[in-house]
Amino acid sequence: MKSPMTSIVRPVSGHLAALALAAALAACGGSQVFGLTSDDNDSAALTQALAVRKLPAALAPHNGGGSPMVFAVTGGKARHLVAYDLGKGKAAWSVEADVQSRVAVGADFVVAREGKDLVARGLADGAPRWHAAIDGTFVGATADDRRAYVVYQSGDQVKPTWWLVAFDGGSGKELWRADSPGQLGAPSAQGGLVMAPFLTQWLSILDGATGKQLTRIRGIDQEISFVTTTADGAWFGSKAGVFRLDPAAASGARAKSTYGTAKVPAQLAKVTYAPDGFDAVQAGYSAADRTRIVWRAAPTGDGWTWNGGAVAVHYFRFVLGLDGDGQVRWAYSQPRVELVGSTHTGAVIAAISAAGEVVALDPETGAVRGRAAIDVAGAPVLGATFDAEGWAPRGTDEAPSTVAALVAIARDRDARFDSVKELAVGTLAHLPGEQVTKDLLGMLADERTPAKLRDTVASVLVARADVGGLPALIEALSVKADLIANTQPAAIGPVARAVAALGDKPLDAAARTGAVQALLGQLWSPSLSIADAVEVVRALHAVGQGAERAPLRTYLLVYRADPEFAKADALVGAVVDALAGAAPDDRELLRFVAEDGRTLGPVATVAKVGAARPLAAPAPAPKP
Amino acid sequence: MIAAPGGAAKPAAPARPAPAAKAAPVNVPAEAARLVGADASAAADAAKALGRSGDPAAHDALLDALATGVAPEVAAAALGALAAHPAPPDAAMLVLYAGHRNDQVRAAAVGALGAYPDPQARKAAVAALGDDEQAVRDAAANAVATGKIREGVDRLMALLDRGDSAAPPALAALADADMAHAIGEHLGTAPAPVLALTLGKILRRADFPEPARVQVVRTLAKVPGAEATTALTDYVEATPEKPPRQSRKEAEAVVEARISGGGQ
Repeated sequence: MKSPMTSIVRPVSGHLAALALAAALAACGGSQVFGLTSDDNDSAALTQALAVRKLPAALAPHNGGGSPMVFAVTGGKARHLVAYDLGKGKAAWSVEADVQSRVAVGADFVVAREGKDLVARGLADGAPRWHAAIDGTFVGATADDRRAYVVYQSGDQVKPTWWLVAFDGGSGKELWRADSPGQLGAPSAQGGLVMAPFLTQWLSILDGATGKQLTRIRGIDQEISFVTTTADGAWFGSKAGVFRLDPAAASGARAKSTYGTAKVPAQLAKVTYAPDGFDAVQAGYSAADRTRIVWRAAPTGDGWTWNGGAVAVHYFRFVLGLDGDGQVRWAYSQPRVELVGSTHTGAVIAAISAAGEVVALDPETGAVRGRAAIDVAGAPVLGATFDAEGWAPRGTDEAPSTVAALVAIARDRDARFDSVKELAVGTLAHLPGEQVTKDLLGMLADERTPAKLRDTVASVLVARADVGGLPALIEALSVKADLIANTQPAAIGPVARAVAALGDKPLDAAARTGAVQALLGQLWSPSLSIADAVEVVRALHAVGQGAERAPLRTYLLVYRADPEFAKADALVGAVVDALAGAAPDDRELLRFVAEDGRTLGPVATVAKVGAARPLAAPAPAPKP
Repeated sequence: MIAAPGGAAKPAAPARPAPAAKAAPVNVPAEAARLVGADASAAADAAKALGRSGDPAAHDALLDALATGVAPEVAAAALGALAAHPAPPDAAMLVLYAGHRNDQVRAAAVGALGAYPDPQARKAAVAALGDDEQAVRDAAANAVATGKIREGVDRLMALLDRGDSAAPPALAALADADMAHAIGEHLGTAPAPVLALTLGKILRRADFPEPARVQVVRTLAKVPGAEATTALTDYVEATPEKPPRQSRKEAEAVVEARISGGGQ
């Protein structure tokens, strides 16, 4: 079959004669190795293919220099490709380059689509090494030590053809090509093998040197939309889960393979394990890179094991460490700008922000283990490729700040994050301490907090029932409306409900007294809404242990002839409910209120019912 | 007297000296009964009548009614009546009602607080300067002025800066020479009309020392706007030419200059 890439290889520098020679040499035809009929799921063939794969002895970057690197593409008037040496903590080089795809890293070169060409650049200085025109739609590129590979689609809608083409990384010489009548996904190369998803059903494994298909895995019960590699293994799968490429993968079935799937909160459902190899948008850096499961799994051994027992999720500005049940166990919030790319190096979670800051997080705790600032000259980082396997920065003085991060998430103004805000708030519910309560109260007090989130925060505040947060609740209740001081109590109803939730908790006497006094202060505040007053009365009843009764008797007497009070059914009911059935003197008061001529009708009616309620058995002495 | 079980504590009113002027005779038992009747209008009238009586029983009746609860209009009248013959036990009741939800009731309670040296009463009066309702702030300012509550001066100054009408009468009533100077320092931060009104009221005080009054005139001369001119004019008109006063002379000069277009 005649290649549509005839004459595409052209040395960047050289003479016309060399160009003509290269064109002639490149005029080779493809050989169809992809097809519907093949020897699928051959365990012996897969074992043999994996046996010839060369993997490093230890986790190490792919580049020949051996230093962990990150290659960032920046936007602006002219795109740049910036190489930064994470090991040395300094920039390697920066070149103007119209990079339109992900960057793949070889031993001494990097390769990416630039404009309409596949372009290789020297790893040492970023200088262009060779170009190859892509006569079709780019799907993806990859590299191993010495070769670059590209998948693209040619032809038309009626008869499209996909091509997997191999180039020599040093010269750009086309080494082989294979055509496919069905859709190929973005390839991934490793240790002499090149792998590509085929029609979302197969993973084809080819000899990188010859283009010969070594074996093929057919997914029995799951699509195959990506293949990716780490220094210690290769992995494929889809949004549903990940297969380890080992002999067991030859079964094609999840149950018989080494297969893992992470529990992720529903609010983060859009995250994926890797870029979709069939999505043209994801052939380059895209927003999808900002919603990623950051994971690492054991490369060998029986059964699937996530490193550290679980995964993390990169979600725009945030990284959330999950436990095995999908619950958030730590959180990191990148200040101000989004994280546009992330990876797991085997030792840390590395991510890069749109402003060029690289951060390394401890996968177990979320503690910042390292930071680096790449000079991107003010241009936004569009995306990046980490070649940083094994990178393990020693650490910083920054303590893990999960609470602060969760609060930052919850208070973020960006409407895209509403679901993850709810997740953050829900996580805060399980974290004890006064600071958490303060942060939640701060969100309630912030007028910019969306109504739905405010409701969630209020619910969480109540659900926490954290005794340690009582001082913060009392402090919130102590704020009075004051025109001069420009203060207004905020969210008194929810705060009162949170106090009420502590009613059966072991509070010390001083804390209980403080709560009652603060609640009474609000009850006698003229600016308190009726709805909030109801909650305050209920909270008094819940925590007062009797200390609330005398003040509530006074309250009922003072207001029983007030038409506004009489109209507030819920408030009247709450006050009477707090007094009814408690003690003989309360019942006596209710009878008086019910019968005295000054009492307005609705109040008298409720008081009469309350007075008729049987007295409760004496409560046991309160625990201190 | 109606005994309400568990009601607000109402200490017995102590004996008080009779008022200097002979009060109109009040049928205390009858008015006390009307006070706690179901007719709120009649009860409010009864409260006012009881306030005119120097009889301790009348005071007791008012305290009783407030302790056991009355309609808002009755409470407002009773609170005002209570302060007609202040007694220390009133303070707690006034402080309680100073937090009432009804604005009129609250204003009546707050306005009465100035008659009581009780620390809680003074604190409540100062706090009420920050009330959302203008009527309550006015009442609080009046209480602060009446009670000469110096702790309220800073908050009155804050109200002055906000241009709040509660501030001028109270500040003018409380001002000595130093405070008048301090008020003048608010030129540029407080709205000119309110500042002029405050300084004008100070000028009109007969007990204000002449040297300090001269300084007030000079400060007013710097205050822009018609209100400052009016304040100076009012002062000139209200002050006899003899004996001659430097403050009047300077005020007159400023007014003339302003009228002729030479002033602000």
